[in-house]
Amino acid sequence: MASPTRWRKAGGLCAGAGILLVVLGLCSLFVGKYPLTLEGLLAGDDMQVRVFWTLRFTRMLVGVLGGFALGASGFVYQTVFRNPLASPDVIGVSSGASAGAAAGILFCSGTAAVTACSFGGAIAAVFAALALAALDCSGRGSTIVLAGIAVHALAQTVLICLKLTADPERQLASIEYWIMGSLNGISLHSAAVNMALCAVVMAVLFALHRQVILLSAREDEARMLGVPVGKLRLVVLLAATLTVSCVVSLTGLISFIGLLAPHGARLLTRSNRMGTMVLSGLLGGVLLCAADLLARSLAETELPVSIFTSLLGAPFLIWLVVRGRRSL
Amino acid sequence: MNHEPFFTVTGLTAGYGGPDILRGVEFSAAPGLITGILGANGSGKTTLLKAVCGLLPHGGQSLLEGCDLGSLPPRQLARRCAYIPQRSGIGIDISVLDVVLMGYNPHLGLLERPTAQMKAAARRALALTGLAGREEENYQTLSEGQKQLCILARTLVSGAQLLLLDEPESALDFQLRYRMLHLLRRWVRQGRRGVLAALHDPMLALSCCDRLLVLQEGRTLAVLSPADDLLPELESALSAIYGPVSLTACPGRDGRRHLVMLSEEQEENEPWNL
Repeated sequence: MASPTRWRKAGGLCAGAGILLVVLGLCSLFVGKYPLTLEGLLAGDDMQVRVFWTLRFTRMLVGVLGGFALGASGFVYQTVFRNPLASPDVIGVSSGASAGAAAGILFCSGTAAVTACSFGGAIAAVFAALALAALDCSGRGSTIVLAGIAVHALAQTVLICLKLTADPERQLASIEYWIMGSLNGISLHSAAVNMALCAVVMAVLFALHRQVILLSAREDEARMLGVPVGKLRLVVLLAATLTVSCVVSLTGLISFIGLLAPHGARLLTRSNRMGTMVLSGLLGGVLLCAADLLARSLAETELPVSIFTSLLGAPFLIWLVVRGRRSL
Repeated sequence: MNHEPFFTVTGLTAGYGGPDILRGVEFSAAPGLITGILGANGSGKTTLLKAVCGLLPHGGQSLLEGCDLGSLPPRQLARRCAYIPQRSGIGIDISVLDVVLMGYNPHLGLLERPTAQMKAAARRALALTGLAGREEENYQTLSEGQKQLCILARTLVSGAQLLLLDEPESALDFQLRYRMLHLLRRWVRQGRRGVLAALHDPMLALSCCDRLLVLQEGRTLAVLSPADDLLPELESALSAIYGPVSLTACPGRDGRRHLVMLSEEQEENEPWNL
């Protein structure tokens, strides 16, 4: 009766990660420079209610949902590319988002405009990578990786050119700060559209889980299992990239979560079933929320989130590898 | 047995971008038969299988009961024809049962999941291939031979009429390779079905195949029937690809004629000079 045991294990792990995520989400609501109390919120304290809805709630929402999206889409990238190092960077989404955000900071005004430009940059990079890959009629899976490297290089060049034209005092600092990633200063208005889109596309990705697993087979084999490999890969990658774009266009670049969370989930469950994809998302949310809590509470000024995702992620990965070796 | 054409290949040409490897292969097979493909390395055995199911750009036609396989979209193709490569490309942690359930994909909608009946049938297919009780094991922990048997189980549940197998015996030991071929013999007799298998081992092919397609330099050299053809005729065709060979007929305990092939290559008497 191995099946129920394994399912219970994945279910138990998901429940544990879910509880941890809820706890971190609640902490995220009450940790910060302006003290919030449950009594104050329930009593309708004007200032506390305003801080709660304009700052803390959005931050918690982006931390939980954004982390979940990064983790789950990392699972999809690694499975479809059959590459343990695959991440949104592979097809240039992060560098496209950076170049778009830099253009937004230089030529537009307002956070919402920067978010929109970043989203546009990410999507443009993905379409460029997929269009380049489509030029190769052989349909090899590696083509999209090569196309992604080319688009990444192009986006980096655009980013450097934009930085050169930026005002060093103000705009350059903003670009650098954006690239470092933060959950600070995201308005509920700009986050609502992105998070709603992110949730819908993620639901599609979860519904396509069985197809994602089929895409992990070699291309010939997948075709002979009735999978329209080219079309399906395009849809799945586009959905995963849309998800990531929704998050990074709000937060700036956040490293390591899309790579680490799926590895953690796989090492814990030793499978690639739906439960593992859910666990990847939950671990992504836990990592981002924990990193954000540290980023805003360890120093006087707020620190970049990516520092903590990397600092939390590296030892966690080492621990999981050591644990995995013991269990083999 | 019904011997009207079930599967016909005409003027099949294919290659990998350079000169054609297949140069106009022609043959046909009746239903209920296992057709083995024999040939030296590089003669086009794998290329033939890939061209038949449209995995390679090709010229000519492969007709299964009158339907051109090359013109079918992947889903329709997978319902009619299944392919087992030399090595499966599944590289992720996945249970043995989940690998077999992949075989139902052509019969499921995009968002549908395998039913309880499909799971029960997948377990029976695993039992048939000797993998009973290993449903929840990680596919990656199986030996190469067991992986081949698992992929065979996946193929059996797919409902395809034509199985294309690329050296399915290569990773199997003596007992398992005969078990696999006997299983295929049972399967192929169940209806309008056929098996086309590229085989590395001519003895296995002579013992288990109804017909043998002998390829030489991408062309059909001969189509043989090991049970009926005269020994000199078989020897002549097989010697053309393996060098001088002789065949000896041995009656098995079941009374059937079994053929044993020996190499008649003369040992060189020249002094060893390295």
